[in-house]
Amino acid sequence: MIGQPLPRVEDRRFVTGNGQYTDDLRIEGGAYAAFLRSPHAHAALRSVDVSAAREAPGVIAVLVGQDYLDDGFQGVDHVPTPIDAIDATKKAFLTSLTGSIFNQLHIPLPVDRVRYVGEPIAMVIAETPLAARNATELIDVDYDVLDAVVNAADAMHEGAPQLWDGAAGNLCFQTQIGDRDEARRIIADAPVVVQREFHHSRVVNSQMEPRSAIGAYDDASGTYTLISGSQGAVRQKLCLAQALKVPLSQVRVVCPDTGGGFGPRSFIYVEQLAVVWAARRLGRAVKWTSDRSEAFLSDYQGRDQIIRATYGFSKDGRILAIDNEWIGNVGAHTVSYVPMSNGTRIMTTVYDVPVAAVHVSAVLTNTVPTAPYRGAGRPEAHHVMERMLDLAAAELNLDRAEIRRRNLVAHDKLPYRSPMGLTYDSGAFEHNMARALELAGWDSFDERRAASRANGKLRGIGVANYIESPVGAPRERIELTVLPEGRVDIVSGTQSTGQGHETTFAQVVAQHLGVPVASVSLRTGDTAFVSVGGGSHSDRSMRLGGMLLVDTAAQIVATGKQVAAALFEVSPEQVTFDNGTFIDSGSARRIGLFDVAAQIARDGVPGDAATRKLYAQAEVNTRVPAHPTGSAVCELEVDPDTGIVTLVNYTSVDDVGQPINPLIVEGQVHGGLAQGIGQALSETCYVDRETGQVLTGSYMDYGMPRAGAIPPLKLELTEDPTHGNPLRVKGGGESGITPATATIFNALADALKEFGTDELAMPATPKVVWEYIHRPAA
Amino acid sequence: MAEVQLRVNGTDVRRDVPDQTLLVEFLREELRLTGTHVGCDTSQCGACTVNLDGVSVKSCTVLAAQASGGAVTTVEGLRKSDDAPLHPVQNAFVQCHGLQCGFCTPGMIMSVDYYLREQPKLDDASICHALEGNICRCTGYVNIIEAVRHAAREMYPNAGDAATEAHQR
Repeated sequence: MIGQPLPRVEDRRFVTGNGQYTDDLRIEGGAYAAFLRSPHAHAALRSVDVSAAREAPGVIAVLVGQDYLDDGFQGVDHVPTPIDAIDATKKAFLTSLTGSIFNQLHIPLPVDRVRYVGEPIAMVIAETPLAARNATELIDVDYDVLDAVVNAADAMHEGAPQLWDGAAGNLCFQTQIGDRDEARRIIADAPVVVQREFHHSRVVNSQMEPRSAIGAYDDASGTYTLISGSQGAVRQKLCLAQALKVPLSQVRVVCPDTGGGFGPRSFIYVEQLAVVWAARRLGRAVKWTSDRSEAFLSDYQGRDQIIRATYGFSKDGRILAIDNEWIGNVGAHTVSYVPMSNGTRIMTTVYDVPVAAVHVSAVLTNTVPTAPYRGAGRPEAHHVMERMLDLAAAELNLDRAEIRRRNLVAHDKLPYRSPMGLTYDSGAFEHNMARALELAGWDSFDERRAASRANGKLRGIGVANYIESPVGAPRERIELTVLPEGRVDIVSGTQSTGQGHETTFAQVVAQHLGVPVASVSLRTGDTAFVSVGGGSHSDRSMRLGGMLLVDTAAQIVATGKQVAAALFEVSPEQVTFDNGTFIDSGSARRIGLFDVAAQIARDGVPGDAATRKLYAQAEVNTRVPAHPTGSAVCELEVDPDTGIVTLVNYTSVDDVGQPINPLIVEGQVHGGLAQGIGQALSETCYVDRETGQVLTGSYMDYGMPRAGAIPPLKLELTEDPTHGNPLRVKGGGESGITPATATIFNALADALKEFGTDELAMPATPKVVWEYIHRPAA
Repeated sequence: MAEVQLRVNGTDVRRDVPDQTLLVEFLREELRLTGTHVGCDTSQCGACTVNLDGVSVKSCTVLAAQASGGAVTTVEGLRKSDDAPLHPVQNAFVQCHGLQCGFCTPGMIMSVDYYLREQPKLDDASICHALEGNICRCTGYVNIIEAVRHAAREMYPNAGDAATEAHQR
């Protein structure tokens, strides 16, 4: 069962329209919320007059930030600094050159100032969604418009508009990783130095399900309930309890089917907090559903990292040292510093770099807050590394594959500790690249370039190697129960936003307990029965959950052996377990797993008559070293007359570890790749640099990839086994996206090399490419 | 208020609703047919695609009152009954892993069903053109395109090579 490309068991409900997303749920007697959002990127709120809105037909209440504070609640602590990638007992960033790491509690509606276009200012609750929305237009806000700053580098300039007291210079923190002096010393003496600035562009998350939240409050028990799609119910519960100042036992979070996650939905949103607060105030359930226009203005966004890279190379193309400057755009609220943590940790990627240093600045701007977006720092880091290698190859007149070979971590150096402290236990880096180049026809590319040339097209090819880091929430829990009626019930802390856990988790349990996949069911996403769990992100669900599934299945088998041994009147050591059946190796008597569960339900387990369930649980709270890795090649054509880029084909060799379900793994590669292609070529999240106005606020302006965005693919899975977890899982969710922008930009630079070596802006839309080709000579 | 009479998935319904009620709101809120989704507000994403009088429409762009008198099929009505086998397009999406989060899926399925009944050209360019009005964030469309061909083979078992052609560009 493990390793089989089974169609997913959850699909039936989705293809028949029986999925249950938050907006599909209706709470009888509930009211509806709508938010008035700021039209300004930065403005002081002189006054917010809600009196006319309160009188509007159907309106039940209009709430502002002061109401929330008057009710005695506090802002949400997003816990923006993640857990360290190596030591799960500490934070990724511990100190700041600014003195402290800034963390502003996030109240649902601001009382003093708005700090980005789309920030909610007031909440109208009415009998219908339309009445609520109409009444928002009757709210009279007196704004004192302030200068705005949206680019992170601009925000660091002296005299830039300041967002928050307590974050001087708009810096959340600033830190130096690695020995910058040593790196600079080496670079100063290096025969070849390459310097370049990259702006890895901002993207809109754009999960297809607009966010939605239902809040309820039970007066008798004092319990708040939030029903809302997310990437993990437990984190949301912790945040709500902290903001509402109640014990964890007084918050329940229910996560129904969730229409896409991609990172930002790991974090709580102020609208989710606002609906449970309003439910308590009103004594009624309150529901809010975003429309797409709101989503463009308020869903946490991704990327927007500026990296100024300086690399020193030897004459033969070896990287001698790296000195990077990394400027992360945090947006207007301190939601997450994950991209900076991930991106700097993995900065040297698959290459054997002797000395590396990076100076990190996390910067506040008048933009939608940023959060991890699929890959979260790793695509940025790989983009820089792989572009720098191509630039160095050009300078040294070296083949681009050859400069990589000279720098790759050799297999016999494993386990290899990177200068950033990560230890790679496995990964056939050189083999993976060789295979990708072979599949892509790298050596015969010149013929195809010439053929394109004859057709008036510019053809380019690019390669990028990648590796990921095993990050994300380190804590996870699995409970496994074998039921006498022939079912196995899994309760998992992590939950799916489309990854197919109901199928893959069942495959693992079916394999380890020798039962049919159809007999295994998975329950997730309700803190009424899920106590611990980190949610889906960072390739963590099967890495951590899978390990615990194996652990709990082994416990089940051990308990079953005791029960069977007592029945057979032999010692447990004499009982074997094979394909769902316990067998006395002496007498060959047998009893099935479910019959053992029935026996326990009747009589308990030997020595413990009170236990009437065949049940096991396991929890983990640590780092599991597993590094997904691979190599990708992109071949493309540019039409010099229009600037249109056509991807001709794309090759990806991915070591995801053991694939539990190759069908699902390949689907993950496709999806990640589409997001990478979108970012590289079309997804322009354009925020005006002067005013902070969002100019790409709908699918009519924002370049979402459509059918046909993905070129013909050559995908191959490979495995150099990791020994860090029993299923040998590394992870497949970010394989497609991690090298994608690097591969495409390397191919673009190759196609356009006759027009110079300046860096193309991202995304490389036809306009960008055409202007690059036709720019005046420097 | 407008009186709206529709035949929805074979059942006649009649409701008085506010004039501005969209067909998708009528289906979701009045009839509680929540398989039809709302993914945008500019008629771009196609999550709300249904069939109205034999034509594929985005139900966020049609007033319920405009549709009145017509016949609507939603994703819930593709099968004759809840215990009937999956419709060929539904089955193809399952077999080809043509969905991940599932949110765009009902609209995709309705668009594909219409396309395959109207003009089932199966080269990549034709399929991509047919899917231009449906956005998916999860799948990269690769397996959705495969699902179109898979469904075509089931719907047109005698079509020969046209339905079994591999990728063409």
